[in-house]
Amino acid sequence: MAFIITISVLVGIIVLCLWKFLSGGTGLVLLSKELRSFFFSPVAWVVLTLVMLLNGFSFTAALADLREGERSVTLTAYTFNSIQFWLAYFFIFPVITMRLFAEEQKLGTIETLLTAPVTTIQLLLAKYLAALSFYIILWLPSFLNFLIFQMNSADDYSSIGSLTGSYTIIFLVGMFNIAIGCLASALTKNQLVAAMICFTFCLLHFLLGFILQNLSVPDAFREIVTHFSTQIHVRAFIDGLIDTRQIIYYISFAILLLSITYHVLEFRKWKV
Amino acid sequence: MIRVSNLTKRYVGHTAVDAISFNVEPGEIVGFLGPNGAGKTTTIRILTGYMPASSGTAVVAGHDIFRDSLKAQQRIGYMPENVPLYDDMRVKEYLRFRALLKGMRGREAKNGIAESIDLCGLTEMRNKMISALSKGYRQRVGLADALIHNPELLILDEPTNGLDPNQIRRVRKLIKQLGLSHTILISTHILSEVEMTCDRVIILDRGKVRAADTPENLIKHLRTAGHISVEVNAATDMAADAMRNLPRVKKVIAESTEGNWTKFTVRAESGTDVRESIVALANAHHWPLREIHTQGASLEDVFVELTQSPHTD
Repeated sequence: MAFIITISVLVGIIVLCLWKFLSGGTGLVLLSKELRSFFFSPVAWVVLTLVMLLNGFSFTAALADLREGERSVTLTAYTFNSIQFWLAYFFIFPVITMRLFAEEQKLGTIETLLTAPVTTIQLLLAKYLAALSFYIILWLPSFLNFLIFQMNSADDYSSIGSLTGSYTIIFLVGMFNIAIGCLASALTKNQLVAAMICFTFCLLHFLLGFILQNLSVPDAFREIVTHFSTQIHVRAFIDGLIDTRQIIYYISFAILLLSITYHVLEFRKWKV
Repeated sequence: MIRVSNLTKRYVGHTAVDAISFNVEPGEIVGFLGPNGAGKTTTIRILTGYMPASSGTAVVAGHDIFRDSLKAQQRIGYMPENVPLYDDMRVKEYLRFRALLKGMRGREAKNGIAESIDLCGLTEMRNKMISALSKGYRQRVGLADALIHNPELLILDEPTNGLDPNQIRRVRKLIKQLGLSHTILISTHILSEVEMTCDRVIILDRGKVRAADTPENLIKHLRTAGHISVEVNAATDMAADAMRNLPRVKKVIAESTEGNWTKFTVRAESGTDVRESIVALANAHHWPLREIHTQGASLEDVFVELTQSPHTD
């Protein structure tokens, strides 16, 4: 029962926000402008290339290691839950989100934007969805690795469940971390400060789950930590277990962070 | 077109705009004049819905700017101070983005863009990157953006700031031309600008409206209170004392001497003319008088008189 209520509240919020975002078409105009500024600048291409490189490296390393003999991990787990994956992973978010609001505030263009008939929610969602779309595009090449491998191997190594799980959790963690980045960027007009805040909090959330869960602590505590430990979520999803609790966890936290961002942007409208 | 009443904006520690009220009628070009830090930009930001007032109301084109901001914003073309633009866009691209953002679509957007490019003289620059534009052209892009949806009201915050004299002239000419079909509110601290372009002036200082009238009336009001220049052939001290003792004279300064001739500047109370009594005085003492005239007051005098505070001199 509680589950159904939670789901319907979340879906309600998302539908309401998207409806507000799409009304009048202004949201889409802003979204296309944001996407354009991603892909018409070197940032997108540099990040895309480097992430492809690192993914390729981790994939090749996984293949090489698996060729050595029997291993207890699968190819997907090797690719998505290896040290090289996590090392690169947390650099993505500051790079794609630091610009979003900090640059507008630095240039002063936030004033031209918000004095045009645009609502804050349209601006916020346009920026967030643009960053999220870019993030999704970022992972498409890595999927090709698996696809090409599958096409060239005689046996069927594809594990649909494992792949779906992996990409789902990457998407969910991305939603959450990009929302952190949005908030960080709205807080300052300095892009480097935004990047540092974003990096620190994304990593902190990850490490908290990772470290606390490995410490010798009371079991009750360990169980609480398990609920927000990305590491454990990733492991479960890579094994093909798509757990709705985690889906709700990441989506609701993303919504919470975005609503804080909304109020940060609206702050100038507060009556003093 | 604009109805402002008792508008106040308080920041922590100081009041930027202090209970100001004014109206702007359709078709007027109104100059918002004041020294730096007088509260012009704050007022404009409230009028454009960028930030709310602490108290008071502002109604733009029939819509309350705070409660009904999107509808009001639809009717305003706003060019902020220093014209913030995206450097990584081309002029045409930027204007297209702005047109779509303001709710124009298809042919309407296309025509709007073409018209504003034409009107602001951006035809040759339309495919240039904004980062490559000179300050004058950036200003024109900002103006083109403000005009693009053919708003009833244009609000321009220091439109000629940082331009060279030729560019300033061109922008002023453009504003005059736009004034034929739009209501315009310009903020500036350049007096000649207001004298040349505006139908009416609102002088703002330390958050308060000090005066609101046509430039001519403001000057006329001051002219009678202006300085009078007198040149008489008399002993300097004696003549100065005699003039000081005349009714309504506030101040007498001996400016220069040339042989026996001394030039005085006489300042009288505002709204009075003491020329006649000075002439009568000279006649009574049999001082030869070779020159007497009022020094032409300018809007600058009005401005200085109204905005000078004891601590800024």
